[in-house]
Amino acid sequence: MRAEPSQIADDDLLRAISQGDESALAALYDRYRLILFSLILRILHDRQEAEDVLQEAFLQVWRRASDFDRERGRAFTWLVTIARSRALDRLRMLSSRSRFVEADEQTVSDEVIDTAQVLAKSEQGEIVRQALRELPDEQRRALLLAYFEGLTQAEIAERLGDPLGTVKTRMRSGLIKLRELLRDRSRGLA
Amino acid sequence: MKHSDYQELLALHAVDALDAGEVREVSSHLESCAECRRELAELSDAAALLAHTAEPAAPSDDVRRRIMREIQSPPRSAAAQSPGVVPMSQALSTAWPSVLRLAAAVAFVALLLGVVTLWRRDAASRREIAELARQVNRQQRELQIERENMARQGEAMAFLNSPDAKKIALSGTPTAQTARATFVYDEKSRHGMLMIEGLPATPPDKAYEVWFIPKGVSPIPGRTFTVDANGRALISDSLPGEAGAPMVVAITLEPKSGSAVPTMPIYLASPAS
Repeated sequence: MRAEPSQIADDDLLRAISQGDESALAALYDRYRLILFSLILRILHDRQEAEDVLQEAFLQVWRRASDFDRERGRAFTWLVTIARSRALDRLRMLSSRSRFVEADEQTVSDEVIDTAQVLAKSEQGEIVRQALRELPDEQRRALLLAYFEGLTQAEIAERLGDPLGTVKTRMRSGLIKLRELLRDRSRGLA
Repeated sequence: MKHSDYQELLALHAVDALDAGEVREVSSHLESCAECRRELAELSDAAALLAHTAEPAAPSDDVRRRIMREIQSPPRSAAAQSPGVVPMSQALSTAWPSVLRLAAAVAFVALLLGVVTLWRRDAASRREIAELARQVNRQQRELQIERENMARQGEAMAFLNSPDAKKIALSGTPTAQTARATFVYDEKSRHGMLMIEGLPATPPDKAYEVWFIPKGVSPIPGRTFTVDANGRALISDSLPGEAGAPMVVAITLEPKSGSAVPTMPIYLASPAS
């Protein structure tokens, strides 16, 4: 994927953060709080926990900004990876403490949605959702199980009742197809 | 495994769906294969976009306030120069003996005298004077660093004696038998300090990494650090949110940029309680 102005700015923000620039962290937070919070909430289904994890994720960004390596993916990818793994860690911890009560996925109330910013973001979300719709059902399901529930290939195979080899092939084809689809459309996508 | 076999696994790696054994194999292949690293970066970028499919929601404004407060608040004492969570310096100081400090001070005075004498004696020595002045500057910088180190050690001592501080002893595993360390932390302020000695020298492209492993939770990465010539390090870090007693604190050797999951073997670990 080619460099775009918005992502060069992300890299610069991370560099400033690694030098202790607090305003750079604030700017990065303002830029990505919605998408990262949505991701964490999708994994945890609990606003309180999700806000805690969002805070932790940004504190980790603050401490570890110098670890960001452009070679291993975009800044957005790095941020999403931190938020996602923190959320999955929390999910496992909550499950292990058996305090986790499966909440309704649709409990996000209108009042918490920041309309103007969400609209801008959801346009990007729409591109991804559109790309996902073009994937065969079983590929999509396997990918989302891995991504949002943190399941391994073996766990996914068990959950779906499919042979491991089949699941592997589906996830691989799914993600590669997604990459191709997004390559064509990702202009302007953060 | 062949290169093409690894390539097969990259997509699954990008969504963390591989089992632990495969992760190890792929990781070690990635170290030597630039093509696979590029491919994995692209697949990871594609996978990250899956975040956009989550139902949009906004966190309360309080989260931003909490984050900013956290990064601005000094760790323990107002005298500390840098907050414990600020990574500006590697937040790693080595314990210089005070003899060295004294030697540096003596050398500083000697250099000053040298400058004055040369100045009087001969204008042609200007260039030499410039060089000496540079040395003085360097010495001053070193003294400054030394003063900061001393301040940090003072902070560590104050922290050690704090009534709220909890202490965890780490001992060396067969990989690093002479190593030992003490982790002191305060659950209230979430501030922690790790004092380490006897670790083997850090290889050039590697770094040691701290892991917090609360009961029933996968290891949470802490700071990366290197050790001085004596295998010592003093690290200041904030405690990750989930960390708290009972937990195991462990140290592994990782690539310089740190890892998300620990690489075996463990060098130092506290006993599982």
